[in-house]
Amino acid sequence: MTTPSLLGLPLAWLGAFFVAPIVIVALYSFNVYALFPGPHGFTFDAWRSFAHNHVYLRLFWKSTQMSLVVSVIIVLLAYPVAYYLALSGTKRKYILLLLLIAPFLTSYLLRVLAWKVILGDQGVVNSFLFWTHLRSPEHPLSQLLYSRFAVMLVLGYIWLPFVALPIFVSLESLDRRLLEAASDLGASRLRAFWAVTLPLSLPGVIAAFFFVFIPTLGEFVTPSLVGGATGYMYGNQIVDLFGTGFPDWETGSVLALFLIGVVAVLTIAFSRFLQPQQVAAE
Amino acid sequence: MTDVALSRNGALVLRGFFALVIAFLYAPIVILLIFSFNNSAVPTFPLGGFTLHWYHEFLVNGDLRAALRTSALVAAATSVGAVLLGVLASLALVRRAFRSKPLVSALLLSPLVIPYLVFGIALLLLFHALGIPNGVPTVVIGHIVITLPYTILVLVPRLEQIDASLEEAAYDLGASRLRTFRSITLPLILPAVVSAFLIAFTTSFDEYAVASFLVGPSTTFPIYLYSALRFPSQLPQVIAVAVVVLIVSLTVVVAAEAGRRIAEHRVGVL
Amino acid sequence: MDAEDRLEKRLDRQMLLKLAAATGGAGLVAGRAGIADAMRSFSTAETGRLQVLDWAGYGNDGGQSMFAQYVKQHATNKPRFTYMTNESDALAKIHAGQRPDIFRPYVGWVKFFATSGLVQPWDPSQIQSFKHLNPFMVKAGQYGGKQYGIPDDWGFDAILYRSDKVTPKSRSWGLIFDDRYKGKISWFDDLNMLTIAGLYLGFKDPWNQSDSELKQSQKLLVAKKKNVRLIWSSETNLWEAFGSGDVWIAYAWPNDWVQMKKKGLKVVYMRPKEKPIAWVGMFMLLKGSPRSHLAHAYVDAWSSKASAAWLEDNYGYGHANLQARPASSDLLLALQLTNARAVTEPNAHLDRDIPRRAVYAKAWQEVKAS
Repeated sequence: MTTPSLLGLPLAWLGAFFVAPIVIVALYSFNVYALFPGPHGFTFDAWRSFAHNHVYLRLFWKSTQMSLVVSVIIVLLAYPVAYYLALSGTKRKYILLLLLIAPFLTSYLLRVLAWKVILGDQGVVNSFLFWTHLRSPEHPLSQLLYSRFAVMLVLGYIWLPFVALPIFVSLESLDRRLLEAASDLGASRLRAFWAVTLPLSLPGVIAAFFFVFIPTLGEFVTPSLVGGATGYMYGNQIVDLFGTGFPDWETGSVLALFLIGVVAVLTIAFSRFLQPQQVAAE
Repeated sequence: MTDVALSRNGALVLRGFFALVIAFLYAPIVILLIFSFNNSAVPTFPLGGFTLHWYHEFLVNGDLRAALRTSALVAAATSVGAVLLGVLASLALVRRAFRSKPLVSALLLSPLVIPYLVFGIALLLLFHALGIPNGVPTVVIGHIVITLPYTILVLVPRLEQIDASLEEAAYDLGASRLRTFRSITLPLILPAVVSAFLIAFTTSFDEYAVASFLVGPSTTFPIYLYSALRFPSQLPQVIAVAVVVLIVSLTVVVAAEAGRRIAEHRVGVL
Repeated sequence: MDAEDRLEKRLDRQMLLKLAAATGGAGLVAGRAGIADAMRSFSTAETGRLQVLDWAGYGNDGGQSMFAQYVKQHATNKPRFTYMTNESDALAKIHAGQRPDIFRPYVGWVKFFATSGLVQPWDPSQIQSFKHLNPFMVKAGQYGGKQYGIPDDWGFDAILYRSDKVTPKSRSWGLIFDDRYKGKISWFDDLNMLTIAGLYLGFKDPWNQSDSELKQSQKLLVAKKKNVRLIWSSETNLWEAFGSGDVWIAYAWPNDWVQMKKKGLKVVYMRPKEKPIAWVGMFMLLKGSPRSHLAHAYVDAWSSKASAAWLEDNYGYGHANLQARPASSDLLLALQLTNARAVTEPNAHLDRDIPRRAVYAKAWQEVKAS
């Protein structure tokens, strides 16, 4: 199959059902379209006030930091898990993989609810601390729930299995003979890991990082459930501008496009990195 | 394998770590399980007594069951579409060289970025302009867009690790591209395909924001759930449902996995 | 090579067609007119059903008792529900093309919708229970002498606090800004917080603050936000947090007090000296609705004494029907149901139109983002 015929359908689908809607959103940000009837025309007003109004940009930076921290930690945690499943030779690796993914088959909303029960002032963690007299019942650990910490913890929890998957897939396809060869040549396991396994699994790791970093940038459900007043993220702001108070689709569209723009740039940069073999071949 | 990749101690440590992670992943689910039997309208500690009331409520709740059915239908259609499109796209990305590749991959992955609420509204406007009424098909369309990047991100690394020369050899021997794909590539990437299918399915089944705009007169499970979170009287029932959904889907996935293993055994791959 | 290419092209087209069929996209082949036609014939069979855009919990997801009378009388025109998360969401959906027959914003939006050209007035003579509805609420649903909104559920915004943990300095809205209880306070996620700030700061008309007044209100909220643990938007959320002791002071509705009392907590529902705000849900009829008569029947079912009592007993909201009484004496007390005037001056501020709602919304967004 030629490239165009391979890509034809996916790109057509996205063109019609992804690009076109985004163009509509862009048109809203420039006030070419507006929700309410009335005079409107092309203008940069909304963009200008976005640039000058530091509140939104500060919020974006805050969200980016939170996403970065979560992503890095989760990828670091997921790697050993994927490594164990893929390379330890365990007979039941697919069943264990299933076990890993299974939490995903419950509802996201309810798993977050369960965390609220664990992290609350009288939740599991605090009850345990009271019971072991590590803290008195008058002074529970209040920063666990309705905080930035809670948001990051829950986001990490939600995305961990997702993240393990691409790493697992790339580790599983690793040609064991390379490792055997390395060992034959006298390399220690650690050395072999650094020199062989890690580099070859890097595409999976990068994909894994993407799996969590990008969606969490625009996250709003988790922050709205466990973030409280301080865990408010950029995604929440967009949701609120479209959906609560009084519709401000212009500003909401600006914020949404800004987010899309940042991630598009990141993705282009990373995708070069994601295909070293192709680049080398060319 | 155990020798070259992991020492005995290493394997032990990693196994312990894996167990910890599993415990971490399941703790909240166990909590849900406990509360599904809890005799109280609000899920907080301390616990009320034991009751099967919520399970009974769920079983007689026709609307809840309808919502589950709708979600399953949407998710199935979505995963089929997303995997199909994903395989096509991944093949192009990995096996073909073309100048605009970074741009194309950015485009293919970009649905990951857009906040689903905005995407939902944007699609609503699009369908309105085209005169297409909302319902299950429109949700499926939106969900395919959302899940396509996931399928690509799972398939591409796997495809990259498959030696292209295997395919070229088959092609040289006279097999058509489609035959090559069916006999060589597809079996090799099958685990990734299954993963991609599962990810697409679960994402779609659980998705709230886009569905809420595009579902029209139907209801999906997350929409029903979200309203239950706002209306406390429905919540304990819904927790009971979540437990049931988990058990059912675990069974389905295990069965599917077992089926796949048997199939692979027969084909002689591995 | 050529034969192969042709084969591949045919396969591509076949695959495309299969996919089109699979995605229900017969329209891809038949064209846009094809879809519209197919769908129209599909929908003519259903034009009889009443399209209701309502909040969650009031449809077939729990609210069946509210319109049971309607279903009995009009079994072939059973209601079909879509859900609004709030008025802003409803507005967006209507503008984006959804055509419900009825929807239910709250009293602060009556003037907005009445002047928007999107709704038409009701004919109270078609609603039997209309005469039993609280006259002050009925008045609030009028604009330009016409009845645009039919009141249904209602409640107060006041302060709920733990009497065993909290000693207010005075009976005032200031309690939700109290630095002494940092981390234990919960606000409501609504631009009405600016109105409350305005009430607290003593402005003449908190619903229509000037730019400088609004700036002061916003400044107060931003400064006091550090004391806030949670900004709630769903009652379940509040109940979990309050019930588990995460929060001791909250902007709350009467039923929240009743529920926390049921949990055995020592709680007080404080009516501040600046007065609580009363909110009232208003049924509105969309302009051009082909089912106006059915809509009136639906609202009549909702307004009946039986539905009203059910609402009070099960959802803990008040109902505009003055004949209804809840079983819970606590709720009766919290809602002051024996006094029809409880919802308006001098007892409370009946919520009202905010002329510069967009400005308020923006200010509130900035508070949340800070």
